[in-house]
Amino acid sequence: MHPGIYETVLNWIPDGARVLDLGTGDGAFLERVVRVKRAIAEGVERNPELVTGCIQRGLVVHQGNIAEGLDQYGDQSFDYVLLLGTFQELISPAEILREAIRVGGRVIVAYSNFAYYRVRLQLLFRGRTPVTKSLPQPWYRTTNLHFLSLLDFREFCRQMGVSSIRDACFNARGEVVILPNLFAEEVVTLLEPAGPQLEIKK
Amino acid sequence: MKDPPASIIQGDLQDQKITGYQSALGVTQTQTVTLRGVQIQSGFTFDQVEVSYQTLGTLSARRDNAILVCHALSGTAHTAGLHPETGRPGWWDFHVGPGKAIDTNKFFVVCSNVLGGCDGTTGPMSPRPETGKPYGMDFPAVTVRDMVTVQAKLLEQLGISRLFAVIGGSMGGMQALAWAVSFPEIVRVCVPIATCVSHNAMQIAFNEIGRRAIITDPNWNGGNYTPDCGPNHGLAVARMVGHVTYLSEYAMTRKFGRTLQPPVNAAAAEEALFTVESYLHHQGESFVSRFDPNSYLYLTKALDQFDLFGSEPPEEALRRVKARFLVISFASDWLYPPAQSRELVRLLKRARVAATYINLETLYGHDSFLIQNPEFASVVRHYLENEYRHATSKQASAAI
Repeated sequence: MHPGIYETVLNWIPDGARVLDLGTGDGAFLERVVRVKRAIAEGVERNPELVTGCIQRGLVVHQGNIAEGLDQYGDQSFDYVLLLGTFQELISPAEILREAIRVGGRVIVAYSNFAYYRVRLQLLFRGRTPVTKSLPQPWYRTTNLHFLSLLDFREFCRQMGVSSIRDACFNARGEVVILPNLFAEEVVTLLEPAGPQLEIKK
Repeated sequence: MKDPPASIIQGDLQDQKITGYQSALGVTQTQTVTLRGVQIQSGFTFDQVEVSYQTLGTLSARRDNAILVCHALSGTAHTAGLHPETGRPGWWDFHVGPGKAIDTNKFFVVCSNVLGGCDGTTGPMSPRPETGKPYGMDFPAVTVRDMVTVQAKLLEQLGISRLFAVIGGSMGGMQALAWAVSFPEIVRVCVPIATCVSHNAMQIAFNEIGRRAIITDPNWNGGNYTPDCGPNHGLAVARMVGHVTYLSEYAMTRKFGRTLQPPVNAAAAEEALFTVESYLHHQGESFVSRFDPNSYLYLTKALDQFDLFGSEPPEEALRRVKARFLVISFASDWLYPPAQSRELVRLLKRARVAATYINLETLYGHDSFLIQNPEFASVVRHYLENEYRHATSKQASAAI
């Protein structure tokens, strides 16, 4: 993922927040969240070797898939739930987002934008399934199940009754401000339930 | 899942002889202490209880590095190092010692034989103070909580008022859980391995087969037998069944396949034994030589009766808990399946107890914590190291 995404997430999370990181990998980023933000954090990761890495870093981690990982937490157990780079790999993203909102007040999602202009060009001129920096695997090896654009995601959020209160877009050159659905390769967004605000318990 | 390297010793250390086995701890001793006036859950009070225990490593000046190791059904106080008489390594020598999962260079390890056991701690085989004859079936019913009560009194005698960690697998895991719930102020870290909050019907069923084998052996005689004429057949069968439940299909296929035992003589050639049959016979016989049948009845009953929460709602019992948890299960463990550990983790999380969970892909079934297991060792070692560093840095900052 673009390093700017991690920096953005660190900026969005307040000090001392309770954070649940879904698909935490080897825990390198979550360890930073704990160190920099003094967060009370937990990770969920399904690969036992990566879980071992998290344990070596001293993180609280749960080995399991994301759906099972979420099910075991009570309502509003966390202030922030992170879904960084895993969103397009989820079998049922709607269910996971609903659960993430239940478990944490706010959810931070990072995903690849399939409407990025290089993706469009590859499809248009080469007639091939795009392979880019943020979609690095060929079609037969990719773990991505869903291909979505920034506009698709916004529409999805409207349907889910969540609103994006902040987002940041990136490509290889850095942050993207103009025409993000065309120029952003990766997007990170901070979501919370639309309508009456849920009280975030401290 | 991948095959382990060939250099790894097969099986656990309890009932096999490994020639040339070296323990970094050398010869280790067990000691015995007498506790007075111990009341147990049934209401029975022992005037005195002998406890056999072992300590390894050194208690720190701050007395903050004690780890209580709880043994499983057939374990003993002799945890690691070589036995002074038999020269055999302790049951957890693979994982307890200098630089090992439970590092005796850093931690002070205490392990005691459980109440109701038969390795030096008071149990059905012990003489009754009034008569001098063994308790036999007059021994009061023992629970996992009673085992913990006795351990707590032992620690009191040893001058240990706080445990950095309590760790154990199977029945030892139940004790670790009971510790965290019953003595929340004392336990900082709890590591239950391949265990559950209560037995399911299948687990009870296997134990009952073992118990039936013992009590239907004519030599059992209502529990009144002499050591040289006990229900050895019954106990051996119980151990054979038990042992199979501790393994996995993979482990048995890899170790035995369908190979046949070489016949001892021409007459025996017609009824050649599969290696697995002969192995189980050996396991049974070896167990008979070191375990008391009545003790087997009492301890398996304690396992079946164990219910961490009893009638109390789990959330309430767990709300008291102060320990942080590392819960470990093994994907190939069909006796204590990972689902039971996940249920425990779920209850802990719902009660907002910090719990790390890993389901290791070790292929050797329930016994996976007793065998050489580098992944398991690495997880336990790093977890304990990190938690200890965290705990001592907190103490230091609190002191300032």
